Amino acid sequence: MKRIIFDLLKYNSEFRIGVFLILIVMCMAGLSFFSPYPPNDVFVVPPDAPPSADYWLGTTSRGQDVFWQLSIAIRNTLAFGLLVALLSRVISIVVGLSSGYLGGWVDRVLMAINDTFIVIPLFPILILFYFVLRDSMSTILLAVIMSSLGWAYDSRLIRSVAMSLKTREFTGTSVFSGMTIFEILRREHLPYVLPIIFSTTLNNMNWSIGLEVTLAVLGFMDINTPTIGGMIYWANQHTAIVAGIWWWITFPVLTVVATFVGLYLIAVSINEYIDPRSRLSRMGGGQS
Amino acid sequence: MTPQPILRVEHLKAHFRSSYFGVYREVPAVDDISFDVAPNEIFGLAGESSSGKTTLMKTIAGLIAPPLELIGGKAQFSFMPPETNLFGADPAQLAKIRWSKLSYIMQGSMNVLNPLRQIRFIFRDFAAVHIGGSRSDFETKTVNHLSRLRLDPSVLDAYPHELSGGMRQRVTIALATICRPDFIIADEPTTALDVIVQKEVLGMIRSIQREIGSSVLFVTHDMGVHAALTDKLGIMYAGCLVEAGPTADIFNAPQHPYTRHLIHSLPRIGDTVQRTGLTGTPPNLANPPSGCRFHPRCPLASDICRTERPKMRQIATEHRVACHAVAGDQA
Amino acid sequence: MTALLTLNNVCKSFMRGGILSRHRIEAVKNVSFTIENNRPEIFAIIGESGSGKTTLARMILGMQEVSGGTLSLEGNRVGGRTRKERLAFMAKVQPIFQNPFEAFNPLKKIDYYLLLTAMRFGGSADLSEAEAAADVALRQVGLSLSEVRGRFPHEMSGGQLQRVAIARALVSKPRLIIADEPVSMVDASLRMAIVNLFGELRDKLGLSIIYITHDLATAYYIADRLIIMQKGEVVEAGAARAVLSDPQHPYSKQLRDAVLSPQVTGSPSIK
Repeated sequence: MKRIIFDLLKYNSEFRIGVFLILIVMCMAGLSFFSPYPPNDVFVVPPDAPPSADYWLGTTSRGQDVFWQLSIAIRNTLAFGLLVALLSRVISIVVGLSSGYLGGWVDRVLMAINDTFIVIPLFPILILFYFVLRDSMSTILLAVIMSSLGWAYDSRLIRSVAMSLKTREFTGTSVFSGMTIFEILRREHLPYVLPIIFSTTLNNMNWSIGLEVTLAVLGFMDINTPTIGGMIYWANQHTAIVAGIWWWITFPVLTVVATFVGLYLIAVSINEYIDPRSRLSRMGGGQS
Repeated sequence: MTPQPILRVEHLKAHFRSSYFGVYREVPAVDDISFDVAPNEIFGLAGESSSGKTTLMKTIAGLIAPPLELIGGKAQFSFMPPETNLFGADPAQLAKIRWSKLSYIMQGSMNVLNPLRQIRFIFRDFAAVHIGGSRSDFETKTVNHLSRLRLDPSVLDAYPHELSGGMRQRVTIALATICRPDFIIADEPTTALDVIVQKEVLGMIRSIQREIGSSVLFVTHDMGVHAALTDKLGIMYAGCLVEAGPTADIFNAPQHPYTRHLIHSLPRIGDTVQRTGLTGTPPNLANPPSGCRFHPRCPLASDICRTERPKMRQIATEHRVACHAVAGDQA
Repeated sequence: MTALLTLNNVCKSFMRGGILSRHRIEAVKNVSFTIENNRPEIFAIIGESGSGKTTLARMILGMQEVSGGTLSLEGNRVGGRTRKERLAFMAKVQPIFQNPFEAFNPLKKIDYYLLLTAMRFGGSADLSEAEAAADVALRQVGLSLSEVRGRFPHEMSGGQLQRVAIARALVSKPRLIIADEPVSMVDASLRMAIVNLFGELRDKLGLSIIYITHDLATAYYIADRLIIMQKGEVVEAGAARAVLSDPQHPYSKQLRDAVLSPQVTGSPSIK
């Protein structure tokens, strides 16, 4: 693992930039543990102060320090994205691999469910959830809802790979070596879908963070948990742009853009690295 | 006196060079190969997997794209201006030559035939420019050409997927020969076909070649096909040409130990002689053996074979061998 | 004499097409033959693409259900319903596939499959017993565990890999091996070593091998009996050399005449 990261850092500039951006964002998130102010308290600092030596990124109209507010917000947003990505990966791997391998009626049933989720219009559903749940809507609950809505595309992708893996002869060898279906899926097929899983994990994080920000900006969210979207929501509520409090909007937006770009670049470069063809080539096999 | 060759390959070298995250590899897939193809002959190229025969064919056809790189030497067609390889030639000139002078028959006919177009239009796409004349003239010529290959004109209205594998391969042959090219490159054109169809398709290649007098570079690993079809034969091993000569001479009196083994190991119906496989492992082209590349598996290997690479020597008219153990004149 | 494998009017049909245009494709029609228990032999199934020979092999391996007739191994239905039955079945019948480069997962070390087979079928209780069993099997194909251990598929030649694949099949001490085009992807110079190996396994281990091929020359060379299939039906059956020397059915004749012999005589077949 250390070696892989070292190789990627050495030979891949996309990966370098991506890691640099994500490291900054993560440092930011890590700093939230040392925040001098409780995240939900307001008017702890003089409001509307521009960036200065005392308040690096300025303060908000609600009397919060933008820097410390941003650090807790990005921490929550990243955790949210990661949670959605992990939960939805589990669903898409299980559905994709078993549907592709087992085929027959299992495949038909799973894919019928899968396609239903693909055609459901996401945004209205999420807003509907908000209106139904209202105050009981929390970030965790939203993560669970989003992950149960965000697996379908990727599981179709995984299924298509699993279907072609099923017809490869080494699957037959595995069956006749006495492997159980679970072992075949985990040991033989999973390595081949890993590239898809990695890149879709990062893309899925991007997708869920984007949606979370959108929902929060529009106010369809638990606005008391500080997140990037929540920050922008409050800034809008206080008409920060019109009032000239630009730092309240600019820094959260910059942070979330850095997260998007960083995740994207890492996804692209890791994908290139773990692609089985490139892997084999580095091991010395295959004809280029 | 042999006539001017239509293709002269001289000291051709092409290597695969790749670099993945710091692992650099250089594979000499075509290593210093020279041979001539005369007009109106079928030159067969035989070799096993990773012998470099497909790479050689691609290099000659000018289909060189990274990681494959041309290192040196040339492959000169007589219809090209002197000292030019197809690779790197002027695109306008190539467009003129392709199909009218030089055409291809590939293994996967589905890759050549656009699945969304009827055969009629595929013919028009490929050949109308080179043949010229009015559309109805072209149509008549196409039908005539098809009937020469005993193909019914009704195939013109079919889509590629409606034809069987053998039929599709026949259509690609018709397509490759309609402009009466001087040279045809055929890459394993019958490997995917069943034996009965294969024999018919080979017969068709032979008869159309005789009729229009083109030369064919025929690449396949199947020695049975070479015995039945080709006039001259080149045997490749690990990126090198180890033996070349008239097909009959090579089959009846193979000189190189590898060729000898290859031919004698094949079973025949009506013959119950015990056959043996070659011992040892095929060479790893990324790290080829020193000297003669066949020496680790060669029963006749001596010290010189381990250190010095044998040169091609003339042992009879047009029969050349690269082996220290075979006596002959320096070519 | 007891039968090892019995096929009695085995049929297989597939349904193809959409909801409105479904039609039945008969892949295998009424195939019957028996392989005896105490007379090991190489039984060749010859056919071109679309002859149903691979479907037949998959049915014998229990990978596909038969749609008609009976197919039994030592009197039991092939395949097995529970996992225990399936394991017992697979211990007796093992496959060898066409492409040795595909037979093992390219990202896995190949000894893993040998050891796994030894643990699951060979009755090996621990790793050292499994290693011993794998070594015995590898020695039967002219390799040894030390040559194979820790190597990836791409580090070996097609011939070696096919040997390892055969060794893996031997680990469970099967009674029957189904080899589907086992040498068509192996280089010609290495091919005969594999074909000869089948002969040795038959003579020394008393194994029966169903050798599925389109190559009449190797079938003539190694097989004892054969059937020739065309479009799912058996058109000719009998002793291999007798049938191939003097085929009776028009299709067999055609097939026999289309074989291109690797020799140049005075009157070549195509020139």
